[in-house]
Amino acid sequence: MSLLEIKNACLKLDNKNILNGVSLSINSGEVHAIMGPNGSGKSTLSYMLAGRDGYELEEGEILLDGISLSEMEADERARSGLFLAFQYPVELPGVGGMSFLREAVNSRRKFLGEEELDHLAFVKEARKEASKMHVKDEMLKRAVNVGFSGGEKKRFEILQMAMLKPTVSILDETDSGLDVDALKIVSDGVNAQRNNDNAIVVITHYQRLLDYIIPDFVHILSDGVIIKSGGPELALEVEKNGYSGLINAA
Amino acid sequence: MQHSIKDDYINSIKNYTNQFEDTNFRRIACNDFKSWPSPREETWRLSRLGSLSRKKIKPINPNLKKNNNNTSTLIGSTIIHFIDGAYREDLSSKLPSGVNLSVLSDSEGLKYLQKIKKSNLSDHPSTNVSLSCTPSIMKLTVSKDTKVKDFIQIIYEGGEDNQSVHPVLYLELEKNSSLYLIERFNHLTSLAMPLQLIELRNKASLNSIKIFNDNEKTYNLSANCVYLSKESYLNSFSLIKGGIFTRSETHAYLNGCNAKLNLNGVYISCNKQHHDLTTAIYHDVPDCTSKQIVRGVLGGKSTGVFQGKVRVAQDAQRTDGQQMSRAILLSDTASANAKPELEIYADDVICAHGATVGELDDDQLFYLNSRGVPMDKAREILIKAFLEDMINQSVDNSLHDFVFKEAELALSSIITKEIF
Repeated sequence: MSLLEIKNACLKLDNKNILNGVSLSINSGEVHAIMGPNGSGKSTLSYMLAGRDGYELEEGEILLDGISLSEMEADERARSGLFLAFQYPVELPGVGGMSFLREAVNSRRKFLGEEELDHLAFVKEARKEASKMHVKDEMLKRAVNVGFSGGEKKRFEILQMAMLKPTVSILDETDSGLDVDALKIVSDGVNAQRNNDNAIVVITHYQRLLDYIIPDFVHILSDGVIIKSGGPELALEVEKNGYSGLINAA
Repeated sequence: MQHSIKDDYINSIKNYTNQFEDTNFRRIACNDFKSWPSPREETWRLSRLGSLSRKKIKPINPNLKKNNNNTSTLIGSTIIHFIDGAYREDLSSKLPSGVNLSVLSDSEGLKYLQKIKKSNLSDHPSTNVSLSCTPSIMKLTVSKDTKVKDFIQIIYEGGEDNQSVHPVLYLELEKNSSLYLIERFNHLTSLAMPLQLIELRNKASLNSIKIFNDNEKTYNLSANCVYLSKESYLNSFSLIKGGIFTRSETHAYLNGCNAKLNLNGVYISCNKQHHDLTTAIYHDVPDCTSKQIVRGVLGGKSTGVFQGKVRVAQDAQRTDGQQMSRAILLSDTASANAKPELEIYADDVICAHGATVGELDDDQLFYLNSRGVPMDKAREILIKAFLEDMINQSVDNSLHDFVFKEAELALSSIITKEIF
């Protein structure tokens, strides 16, 4: 059974068709890349999966580990194991990084029937994971994403992913705004979490990220439908010929 | 002519003032009180006193045997008690060295009155009524070069139904002195009219926290007049959470170069409470800075008002004046008004103001939801953060927890009602 199953997803925003029947089946242990030009519906797809208000499906169905997400709010989806790394992580002035992480992790643990971590155990765990992502203690004391550089924001997203141990992670343009060094740190963080029990969906414009996070499958999204799927070589084709060639051929 | 309740109050003030010997300043103030401000007056348009003026109120005769309530106090602070508007030496702690508390004489009272009358608070009802009816004007002085280490805490309590209380304070920080002052208004009365004159001499520094937590029936019309001299610093933070109607009005005059003023405040309003922070900052000389951040959280049928005026005189070049207000409405029946006003006559200044009234931010809520945090918890986190962020910016580190706990008490009842 697929870990994430998207069946004929159709969605309108302001009466405009954005997703026009996206279907995708993702098995555990797999990494899928979704590529597409601006306005192809990539970010809409990620918001729809995460359950953002206003991004409800007109038609189709999403199954996470066999369970339909359509009746679930965003927070339930997250507790069930879905994670979205934001393209633009949101600043939360006044919300300390450590207490934010703890709130998130304990929500997930409660759902899984695990005991909530006490303060000390949590801080220890958070520091361990943070050091892997080159996130300094001082950053965890600050308000979430406030005054963080582009790279820090993305590293903090992947740190959350590491702490929450989701079954399916969607990384929405995680490479945007990153320099080469930061890209490597973030990619290493993602790769460290690849295992046979989870799946990762990488959404990106560019092939560059896929040099670091090597996908099993690449899909091209255009005008709200997947027009072509293939292996990593498809990303190289995009890099060489651009999206227009593929779109015209489709 | 029909006999009105307004006349009743004026007559009761007149009768009341007759008992005092120091009559000069009282007589002038009493004659200047003509009536309650009308909603036609611009600064009272959003905070109407109609229901107060219909109440039968008379000034209280302080009961000097009344005990204080057990308000939790800060450890290590010097306590000063005012009950029924009267200073109570028997209940107050010994003052640290360099700090003195005294009663103003009639002639000093006249000077006090003149200083307030020079300001735009001259017609404020608390100026005239409280100067007529206060048991005495108390002066707290911090002498030259004294840096008071411990906090001084003033607790205002007492009052009765249908009576008004009138604590009047004169706070003078002499040259190069500093003080941390925490004031808590815990009246149980129909009307409280605290009046304060604050003078900061050259290089004096005052950190002031005011917590308005009067009884749910209380009207509190607090009036504060502040004069800042050269290189002096006032960091003021007000937390308004109590009373049925609380208006804190402050007029600050930056009279000496390089004076610095922070005039921040938070109101947390629920049920039918009306909370109002009204300020006026007058930049009269060059190179002064004023910053103002005001935040409100409102639930129920409450209303919030922020009126902030910054006036920069022609000579006040290189003024830096910033003002920002933001209110969050948690119910459809709550409302907030913000009226920022800039009056600038100098050309080389940096002045900015902004005001927003709205709901919690959708992006922030979604971000928390997407991490598994349920909507009600996410809203609670964001509301607390909204105030904590502001308190952290406004209050000295050592007092963060104390002030935030005070805010949290009021917040939790709104959150329970509006969210859970």
